[in-house]
Amino acid sequence: MRSRLSNIITVIVFAIIIGICFYFIYPFQSSIKLGLDLKGGTQIILKPTETGTEEVTDEALDKAQLIILNRIDELGISEPLVTRDFNRNIIVQLPGVDDPERAIDVIGKTAQLEFKILESADENENPVFGPTLLTGDKLVKASAGYDQGGQIVVTMSFNDEGAEQFAKITTENVGKRLAIVLDGEMKSAPVIRQAITGGDAVIENIGTLEEAKDVALVLQTGALPVNLEIQESQTIGPTLGQDSLRQSMLAGIIGFVLIVILMVALYRGLGAISILGLLCYIIIFWGILAGLGTALTLPGIAGIVLTIGIAVDANVLIFARIKEEILKSKSKYAAFSEGFRNALKAIIDANITTLITAAALYRFGTGPIRGFAVTLAIGVVISLFTAVILVRAILFLIVDSRVVTPGFMGVKIDKRLSGTAVKEK
Amino acid sequence: MVSRKKSSRKAGKKIQRPQDSAGKNFAAPVSADSEKTDAVRPNPASVVQEKQEQSMYAGDRSVKFDFIGKNRYWVIFTLIIIITGIIFFFVRGFNFGIDFLGGNLMEIKFQKNVTVAELRNEMEEIGYGKAILQNTADDQFIIRTTPLSDEQKELILTSLDEKIGIERPIVQDRNVAPGFSRTIIRNTLIAVAISIVGILIYVWIRFSVRFAVVAIIELIHDVLLILSIYTITFREFNATTIAVILTILGYSLSDAIVIFDRIREELRINKRDRFPVIINYSINKVLTRTLATMGTTLFPIIVLLIVGNETLKDFAFGLFVGIISGAYSSIFVGSPILIAWNSRFPKYKK
Repeated sequence: MRSRLSNIITVIVFAIIIGICFYFIYPFQSSIKLGLDLKGGTQIILKPTETGTEEVTDEALDKAQLIILNRIDELGISEPLVTRDFNRNIIVQLPGVDDPERAIDVIGKTAQLEFKILESADENENPVFGPTLLTGDKLVKASAGYDQGGQIVVTMSFNDEGAEQFAKITTENVGKRLAIVLDGEMKSAPVIRQAITGGDAVIENIGTLEEAKDVALVLQTGALPVNLEIQESQTIGPTLGQDSLRQSMLAGIIGFVLIVILMVALYRGLGAISILGLLCYIIIFWGILAGLGTALTLPGIAGIVLTIGIAVDANVLIFARIKEEILKSKSKYAAFSEGFRNALKAIIDANITTLITAAALYRFGTGPIRGFAVTLAIGVVISLFTAVILVRAILFLIVDSRVVTPGFMGVKIDKRLSGTAVKEK
Repeated sequence: MVSRKKSSRKAGKKIQRPQDSAGKNFAAPVSADSEKTDAVRPNPASVVQEKQEQSMYAGDRSVKFDFIGKNRYWVIFTLIIIITGIIFFFVRGFNFGIDFLGGNLMEIKFQKNVTVAELRNEMEEIGYGKAILQNTADDQFIIRTTPLSDEQKELILTSLDEKIGIERPIVQDRNVAPGFSRTIIRNTLIAVAISIVGILIYVWIRFSVRFAVVAIIELIHDVLLILSIYTITFREFNATTIAVILTILGYSLSDAIVIFDRIREELRINKRDRFPVIINYSINKVLTRTLATMGTTLFPIIVLLIVGNETLKDFAFGLFVGIISGAYSSIFVGSPILIAWNSRFPKYKK
């Protein structure tokens, strides 16, 4: 089959890959980014719906994402993640926020500012407006503060075009009431006493200074081109995430020890080598997660648990075949070759069906399910390399060694042979 | 017979050492060692010999377990669970979580131990008597309600803080708009459909149409079984459950594939035995593997079931059921169908 040299090269290549992985893994503590469910934080899923004027296009969503990012920056939250899923929902992830409710409010606010002439208003405050004369996109600056009367206001400055329009509106409508409408809600409707040419306007009737600051913030960062409905918001406290992580680690360690015991009990020396392969698998997996900067989530951990099962499975399949071949009185070399050859088809077929599902999950899944699909797919591919190629190279390197006896492979030759002999008679 | 085997085995061992050391020497012409190589390397002659040997083995069907003989009992057992599940589904339905119904979930750690009754009283006083309460520790509760506004949420938290005392920030807080689940359900169904079609085509190409159909039936069985267990135990059905079902969809088929692979191989080698015998033999041959793999995958999951918090337990529970179901269906669901199909439309020796 393959020459000794190629086996040595295989082992060396894996050693180099593992070295590179250690480079990514080091330092241990900070190598893997944790998802919100493990480190705590807030996740908001926003569903875009059309505003009156603009359709939900990809450009509109790109713009919305950018605006959301700006707003988050203004709130002073670090490491936000704003992504889009398959259904074009916008997903906002904020690690460790002090005041998640405020963040959710600010992010989801459309901030559609309109100036209209108030034509009439009845007792029940059902205002009738004229057409929209000016919108918030002509703003250059908005800030919260107090006016001379000590009232909380948001002061806005227009750009040149906006100031010109504002001047025109106020010139033409002296004596009428100019309504300032934010997201469909009339904030105030002062009577225009004289033309305003300075390019400044104020919004009154704001409850608290905090609220005024938020209004200024969303006006400053611009109106969202689409309306966003909050579909789901989730805040995970830091303790819950730490608990999950600690318990998963514990499960991983205990599970690993049990796997070692089972593999060595069933396949002795072969089992020990497969554990070596499994260790390499874990290091490479870790290295790739760290290198790609993929965040580890709870479903991701489930994916890892399953792929460890898959990696061990490949070895179980191979070793079972090797044992069979040894029982057929094949030489060690022939048994190893046949064992790998016979098991490979099943391994590949099983892994490809898993990959098919992972692909479907990635394409149509949302958020955490996608993370799971990625870890599953990465795991399946790496496990093929470590459990098949690496373990094979190591086994063929030691096949000549005196250590590799039937006992090393977990086969009790004499008993079995006499057993079959009796049956064959 | 016995002596031939033993001696050939010994001979093989003796020969192997010089042969392999010759193999290491790349410059050495192969022909020089050809005599020794014959004994070990699979050259045409030894392949023929191997075939003969295998067909002799094929006569030896002394297998440990008779899975096929008790076929009908397994089918009945499977049907009972699934039918019970369907009955429970119509009588009681699923215990849907807020992911599906919409609503609010808060997990709160209190400053002292609280009983369900105490908390229920407090919640009734604030006007949320219908909230679903679940304690996750002596001093920690999950409170599920209809969707809450920020003000309502704050009202609950401040009242509980005054009466009992709570730790801030709270452990978790989740708000889902009603109707959002429609997208989740649609996506899930699309993902399930696509992967089923993909797997159907793949198994069809690699095996045959009957194996492909049986694979899909096994998958559907696994999903139905998980759903049945969820209605019967009335465990909360949430987004995690969906993730678990999708996971099982991707994973559980490997058990079936391994058995199919063995059947495919046996059918090629063994032209003498009847189809059910071949299937029974194949299942026995991979039984250790099925159990070992089930074990290695279940170990960490069982640990999570014991030590994990609610979220992890949710995951672990579904995976636990699914993995066992996958192994079970690969043996007890797939084979009866294959045999029934073959007895009706014989393609292999009946």
